[in-house]
Amino acid sequence: MDTAPLKGLRVVALTWVWAGPWMGAVLADMGAEVIKVETRQRLDAQRVVKLTKDSVEDINMGQFNFTNRGVKSCTLNLKQPEGKELFKKLVKVSDAVITNLSPRVLPGWGLDYPALKEIKPDLIMVTLPAFGSEGPDKDYVSYASTIEAVGGLNISFGYPNEPPVLSGTYPADPIGSIYGLVGFLAALNYRTETGKGQLVDVAQSEGVTSLIPEVIMEEVMNGRTRPRMGNRDEIMAPHACYLCKGEDKWVAIAVGNDVEWQAMCKVMGNPDWCKDEKFADQYNRWQNQDELNKLVGSWTKDFTNTEVMTMLQKAGVAAGSSLDIGELVRDPHVVKRGAIIQQNHPVGGKINVYRAPWKSALTAKNPPAPCLGQHNDYVFKTLLGMSDSEVARLSEEKVIY
Amino acid sequence: MFYKALNGVKVLEFGNLISAPFCAKILGDLGAEVIKIEEPEIGDTSRKQEPFLKDIPGTERSGLYQYVNMNKLGITLNLETTTGKKIFGELLKTADIFVENNPPKRMKELGLDYKSVKEINPRIIMTSITPFGQTGPYKDYKGGELVATHLGGVGYLSTREGDASKEPLKYPAHLFSFQAGLCAAGATLGYLYGQKITGEGTQIDVSEQESVIQNVNASIARYSYTGQISRRTDVLDLAPHHILPCKDGYIYASFVEEHQWRRFVEVMGHPDWADSELFANAQIRSQYWDALKPLMLEWTMEHTVEEIYRNSQEKGIPLGAVRNAAQVLEDKQMKAREFFVDIDRAKTGKLTFPGVPYRFSEIQREAPVAAPLLGQHNEEIYCKRMGYTRIDLDKLKEAGVI
Repeated sequence: MDTAPLKGLRVVALTWVWAGPWMGAVLADMGAEVIKVETRQRLDAQRVVKLTKDSVEDINMGQFNFTNRGVKSCTLNLKQPEGKELFKKLVKVSDAVITNLSPRVLPGWGLDYPALKEIKPDLIMVTLPAFGSEGPDKDYVSYASTIEAVGGLNISFGYPNEPPVLSGTYPADPIGSIYGLVGFLAALNYRTETGKGQLVDVAQSEGVTSLIPEVIMEEVMNGRTRPRMGNRDEIMAPHACYLCKGEDKWVAIAVGNDVEWQAMCKVMGNPDWCKDEKFADQYNRWQNQDELNKLVGSWTKDFTNTEVMTMLQKAGVAAGSSLDIGELVRDPHVVKRGAIIQQNHPVGGKINVYRAPWKSALTAKNPPAPCLGQHNDYVFKTLLGMSDSEVARLSEEKVIY
Repeated sequence: MFYKALNGVKVLEFGNLISAPFCAKILGDLGAEVIKIEEPEIGDTSRKQEPFLKDIPGTERSGLYQYVNMNKLGITLNLETTTGKKIFGELLKTADIFVENNPPKRMKELGLDYKSVKEINPRIIMTSITPFGQTGPYKDYKGGELVATHLGGVGYLSTREGDASKEPLKYPAHLFSFQAGLCAAGATLGYLYGQKITGEGTQIDVSEQESVIQNVNASIARYSYTGQISRRTDVLDLAPHHILPCKDGYIYASFVEEHQWRRFVEVMGHPDWADSELFANAQIRSQYWDALKPLMLEWTMEHTVEEIYRNSQEKGIPLGAVRNAAQVLEDKQMKAREFFVDIDRAKTGKLTFPGVPYRFSEIQREAPVAAPLLGQHNEEIYCKRMGYTRIDLDKLKEAGVI
C-alpha cells in the first residue's frame, strides 16, 4: 500500500461535541474525505468552549480544533427544506453518513437512514447514540459521565473503602468514536464483498461496559460488585504511585514478579528493609503492600520522577512518570513518534494536536480543523456544481448558514 | 462470531493478556476466523487473572480470559523451537492479518519482526500493540495498565476533585488496555480495506501510551490556548458535577445548562433553599458547593437511585444512575437490545458475557462461540488443515512444540 487506505471515500459527518468528531478525525487520518455539515443555527458546543474566565469566545476556537483535525466544514441549516435537499445531494455523492446527534433529531428532519438510503442505496450510516437508537431508554440524555455511570464504570472506580468517583477525562466519548470506526469499517468491508450498505447503530454505554468485563464477570461468576481498589492490582506489588521530588510529582511503579523486585531492590541500593521476610515474595509483598508502599515512597521522594523511571526501566522494571499535560507534550518519546504535533490553526494559533493512536507509514497528512463553513465553496460549487449566484442566494436566505 | 461482516478473513493472533487478544476478539466477533496461539502447557496469562468462577482459580476458569478470547480457535505452539517456527510460517502464509503484543526485542529474536514476516507473506497486515510502540526512546520500556495511564497523561488528572494528599487514581480494571485493543482493531480494519483494494499489506504500530493520550482532549486544548496545566485538584466552575450518595446507592448529577438545574429543582419538589441566590447559577453553586451539598444530600438520601434517575430523565436531565454490575446486567435498555449473551462452555457451563455495542441492519446476529480450552483446536488445525497425522501430533507434543 502506498496511500492511506480510505483514500477516495467520502464521509458526511453530522457530528458534535466529541464522540462523533473524533471518529471523523480518525477517518481523515486514514485518508477519507470527511465533510462536516454544521450550522450557525446551533453551533457545535465545543466550538465555543470558554477555557478560562476571561478568554475570548470565538466560534473557531475551543476543543473543536483538537477533535476535528483534517475534516472539512460546510454550513447548512437542515431545518430549511432547501437545506435538506442540498444535504441529500451531498449524501448522493458520498459513501457514508456518521452522526452522534441524539436519535430523535434525524427522523425529525426526515433525514434518517431509510430516507437517505433511497437517495444512495449502498449508503453506510453510523449512529452513535448514548444508549442505542432502539429500546425504552433510547431518548435518555447524557454526558459522557452519564454513560460511564450507567455502563458500570464508576461503581468500581475509587480508593478502597471510599465512595465511587467521577472520571477526570470522560473516556466514554473516545471509546464510542472508535467503536463507531470499527462498525463503519466492518460495514465497508461487507459492502465491498456484497455491494450492500447498511445502518450501524453503536450504543456508547454498551461500549463502556464491553471494556470492563472484569466488573461484569465478577458479578456473573461470584455474585459481587468488584471492590474499589485504588491503584492496587490483584497480583502485583508494588503497584502504586509514589511521590517524588517537586510539587505534586508522582511516579507509577508496577512490579510483576520476584525477578523484577530483586532488580528494583538493587536500584534502591538494597536497603535493609528489602531483606524483610514481609517482602520476600510476591504473595507477601501483596499482603503487606501498604507498609511496602510507604517504604518505596521513602526512596522515591529524593529523586525526580524521570530519574526513578529511567533507573527502574534500565533495570527492567515497569515505571512511568505521571506526566502533566505540558510534560506530555514535551515528552521526548511522544515528540519523537509524532504522537502529538504542533499545528498552526488560522484562529487558534499554534496548538498541540494528537493523531490517531497508531503509527503507520500511510497516515494521511491533514490540515488543522476547519473554521466554520471554510469549505462551503468546495462543497457547494465544486462537488454539487452550484453557481456563484445560487450559493449567494442560499447564504442570504440562511440555508447555507 | 456475532456478525458475519468479515467473511473469509483469516487472522493469526500471537498475543497475551488484553490488548492484542481483544483486538483479535473484535475481528472474530465480526466474522473473521481467528487462530490464537498460546504457549504449550501455560497458555495466555489472562487464564491466571481474576475473576474465577466461584473464586476457584484454574486454567479454564477465568472470566477475563473467556471474555477476551471468545470467537477464536485456540492452538498451542512453541515458537522457540525450529519446528514451531516452521509451522508458524505456514500459518502466516495463509493469514490476512497478524496481531501481536510482544516486546519488539522478543519479536526480533524470534524472527517475527515485520521485515521477516513480510518476507513470508508480503500481503499481510501486521498489527503490533505495545506499551510505547515500535520506535522511539521508550520502545523497550515495560508498560502495563498503570504505567501507560500515567505516561499517557490521564493518571495525573485522575480523578475529578482529587485530594492533593492522595495519590493519583488508576481507572478501574484494565480500561485502557482494552481501549488500546479497540483502537488496534479499528486501525486493522481500515488497512484490511486497503488490502482488499490494493492486494498489499502494511505494518500498524499501535502504542498504548498514545491510546491513553486520546482521552486528554480537554486539558490539551486548555494548555494549547492558555498554557495552563490542568490538575486533578482543579475546581470547575460547575456544580453539581459530582457523584452523590442516595438512599440505596449513588447518582451522577451535572447541570451544564441552567434549565436542567431548574428542572431538577422541580424533581426535588422545589425545596425553599433552591431559590437562594447562593445557588443561582452553576458558577455560584460551585462557589457555595459546601453549603449546597448537604441540602441536596438531605433529599437524595430519602430517594432511591432508580427514582432519581428515571424522574430526572423523564424531564430531559442528563443525570445518571451509578450502576453496579448486577444492575447493569438487569438494565432494561441493554436487555431490550439483547446486549448480554449466554455462552455454554465445557468446564464452566453456561455463563453470561457482555456482547458487542454495534448492531448491523443487514447482517443477522449469530450466537458467539466460547473461548477455546488450551489447545482445543490443535487437531483441527494441525491434522485436518495442515495434514499432520495424529502420530505427528503426539511427537510434536513430546518435543514440546505444541
